Amino acid sequence: MELIPACEFDMVDLADAYNETRIDYIIPMPMTVERLRNYIHVYDVDLACSCAAVRDGNILGIGMLGIRDDRGWVTRLGVLPSGRRQGVGRSIMEFLLDAAADKALPEVWLEVIEGNNPAHKLFLSLDFSRTRDLIVARRPPKFRALTPGEIVERPRVRHVRTLGREATLALLEKRGDSPNWLNQTESLHNVDSLSALVVETDDGGRGWVTYQTSLLQMTRIIVDVPEGDRAAVTAALLQTLHEFYPTQDAIAENIPADDPMWLGYQEAGYFEAFRRVEMVKTMAEPENPEG
Amino acid sequence: MYSILLIEDSLENTILVERVLQAHGYQMLHASTGERGIQLAIEEGPDMVLIDIGLPDVDGHTVVTLLRQVEELQGVPMVAITAWPADIAQEMCERYNYDGVIIKPISVRNFPKQIERYLSAVS
Repeated sequence: MELIPACEFDMVDLADAYNETRIDYIIPMPMTVERLRNYIHVYDVDLACSCAAVRDGNILGIGMLGIRDDRGWVTRLGVLPSGRRQGVGRSIMEFLLDAAADKALPEVWLEVIEGNNPAHKLFLSLDFSRTRDLIVARRPPKFRALTPGEIVERPRVRHVRTLGREATLALLEKRGDSPNWLNQTESLHNVDSLSALVVETDDGGRGWVTYQTSLLQMTRIIVDVPEGDRAAVTAALLQTLHEFYPTQDAIAENIPADDPMWLGYQEAGYFEAFRRVEMVKTMAEPENPEG
Repeated sequence: MYSILLIEDSLENTILVERVLQAHGYQMLHASTGERGIQLAIEEGPDMVLIDIGLPDVDGHTVVTLLRQVEELQGVPMVAITAWPADIAQEMCERYNYDGVIIKPISVRNFPKQIERYLSAVS
């Protein structure tokens, strides 16, 4: 088996191989070539530091490494059914970690879908440790109405402002959260059409939400509540957003499960589709050549 | 003759489903992406839509979300066909207002009966 840098393959081969790795995955998420290309761009994946495992001319598995400043991020790791139980995943991981070490990255992050036990065990054996649970949430345009007992009182919105891309990016510079790789400001800088909604509530709360809309979907939903009750302002904010965009299917990725804002998401009609476990590995310090 | 639109990206699954249903007299339409599936559903007005949840462009939930808003498709059964764990698939399909879910791998013997049940429920 040979590990070949991913930059030596064309995007069609990488997308095909990735989709084959996910064919029997717990939550299969195939990608078109265009989506994979966009993913690589938005999440700063370095294809020279990423690889495919190849035997007899056939790709057995792939793994990718995103790089931002002093952070690395493992993503799209997968092994085709024909390559399982042969150490292919571990070999790919070792390639990616060597690449991170060559770049002197002090830490490498990743996420694994909750329930993917073989992958989770592999990451633990490579000294990754769990940091937090992240929720991938969905909100269909028409969702089940809450019953009276479920309705939480939320403040009234007294002022709403919409922001274009540049103002949204400026707003993100002031954020107070610790976002996961997908939601980091660097990702959003790589997204072409991005907007935000800022609301103030009549009880002194203030919050904002970023979003990207298409005909069918609303994505890049990231909320911050600098002032007021986090759950209540989140609910008011998201209700307002979906009044503006009533027909799109909304997807919010990687909401920290222990954040009170998650209650606000649920109040606004979101539900948990699945969970990811975020993990980090602290890399060994590079040896000082001067001793 | 009933027409069934299958929105499925896996060639292997497509061939299997088409073979089984064509042998029972159904006319099959096929799309391998969500967007193409939406286009075909609107243009052709099938009697039933079978939707794989995990599609490569937009997923099955988003496809159903849009199709449910098309007046001409009101009453057309929309059924998920997925390898997701049954409990998760069931919950997601209820939330997204599918008419039902069929878990992969399909049973060649039971599959036509399952399809017939969905179609007879609306006819």
